[in-house]
Amino acid sequence: MISRQNTNLMQIVYGKPGLKPSCSIEKSQGSSEDEDSDGDEFFKPKGEINKNLKEGTEVCHVNFEDSSKFINHVKLKNWKDEELIESIRDRFVTGDWSK
Amino acid sequence: MGKISYMRLKGSQHLRQRLVLATLSSTPILIDDIRHEETWPGLRPHEVSLLRLIEKITDDCIVEINETGTKLKYKPGVIIGGKHLVHDCGFSRSIGYFLEPLLLLAIFGKKALSIRLAGITNDSNDPTVDTFKSTTLPLLKRFGVPSEGLFLNIESRGCPPLGGGEVVLGVPIVPNSLTAVTWIDEGMVKRIRGKTFSTRVHVECEKTMFYTARGIFNRLLPDVYIYSDHRTGPQAGKSPGYGISLVAETTSGCYISTDTAVSYARGEETDDYDDERKELTPPEEVGEQAASRLLGEIEEGGVVDSTHQGMLFLLCAFCPPDVSKVRVGKLSPYGIETLRHIRDFLGVKFIIKPDSATGTTLLTCVGSGLKNLSRKLS
Repeated sequence: MISRQNTNLMQIVYGKPGLKPSCSIEKSQGSSEDEDSDGDEFFKPKGEINKNLKEGTEVCHVNFEDSSKFINHVKLKNWKDEELIESIRDRFVTGDWSK
Repeated sequence: MGKISYMRLKGSQHLRQRLVLATLSSTPILIDDIRHEETWPGLRPHEVSLLRLIEKITDDCIVEINETGTKLKYKPGVIIGGKHLVHDCGFSRSIGYFLEPLLLLAIFGKKALSIRLAGITNDSNDPTVDTFKSTTLPLLKRFGVPSEGLFLNIESRGCPPLGGGEVVLGVPIVPNSLTAVTWIDEGMVKRIRGKTFSTRVHVECEKTMFYTARGIFNRLLPDVYIYSDHRTGPQAGKSPGYGISLVAETTSGCYISTDTAVSYARGEETDDYDDERKELTPPEEVGEQAASRLLGEIEEGGVVDSTHQGMLFLLCAFCPPDVSKVRVGKLSPYGIETLRHIRDFLGVKFIIKPDSATGTTLLTCVGSGLKNLSRKLS
């Protein structure tokens, strides 16, 4: 999943304007570049690492498993938690709408 | 006849979308390097099966696969549809894998489709047949697919590894084209419905899943009803398994779904274990996880869940040249890849804007004006 904050979603999806579309053929080159830069990651300013990570999400495997089901591997939230329940209460018809 | 110019693609990724888009945009494609570096190179059984299925419902389509299966040439034909077709989906992927492309192709056919699909009805990799019934079919109706003749009957269930499930799918054709939507209000969840199933295991499993799932929803909503579908005998397929599918219905007519199923692993996946079967996830955990995942999807926002993003975008892109506007939660990786393929095949680019107030994403596009061409030929 891609965070929305201050990122241009259009660029994430379609690539930067002017550049060739980032589909299929470019991807293999992209991943090899990523490998090269792996070692340098420690020595880059914070912002740049983030940038690289974001580009990383753009490069997907050419032989990616074809499934529409998005299985979030991040641990599920504990929905028994009272606070968490309260945080989505207003998404339900039973929520408090007087506010 | 001049030489056919193929659109060249690489890898096995998103084969289903590529085939759907290629067929509907009448673009011949040539895919190279399909798992060419893997121990078992080439197309997998389910991918070949999907190609055979497409051959069944179309006329004049040409599929060529090289010896190792690493190269595929596909020249789309005319979608015909037809009644009383039969297809064996095999065991390497569940029926859900086939239903997604099949639905999208069949609505643009010359005749309505009815087909019996055999294989695995419920597993954890693909949306289960229950989700298609509860969520995917209403999604199609939203875009103007007639509800008459649109059905999915679960005749018998089948879990991995041996399957044995059968469903009958009916898909009507769209008379001319789909209808563009402005669909940005996800509304509030008014009720939660669900279905548990079990095959060749004790019915108690279902009750446990039901109670734990319900326990989580109870503090939010009283209107929760989860049906039970315990199958025995030939209707239960050949392998033991159980699972649950849940759908939250909102006041504005959105369906947000999650599903899961557990069963023993397929043959190739059990290589690491010496005949010893891995324990299944207990039903308490299955129920709890499914319920938590559904609340997670509701928290994300959007008019569809993350699983249906790809289909939503495709349907928007297939609309006549009117503006469609939809809201989803965070873009899923599959959704993003769908958007890229839509641009490559149809030349439709979405305008994507984050809505920071609600943490959702708004997408706007002008449909490609896809007409039901197959019908016109008659």
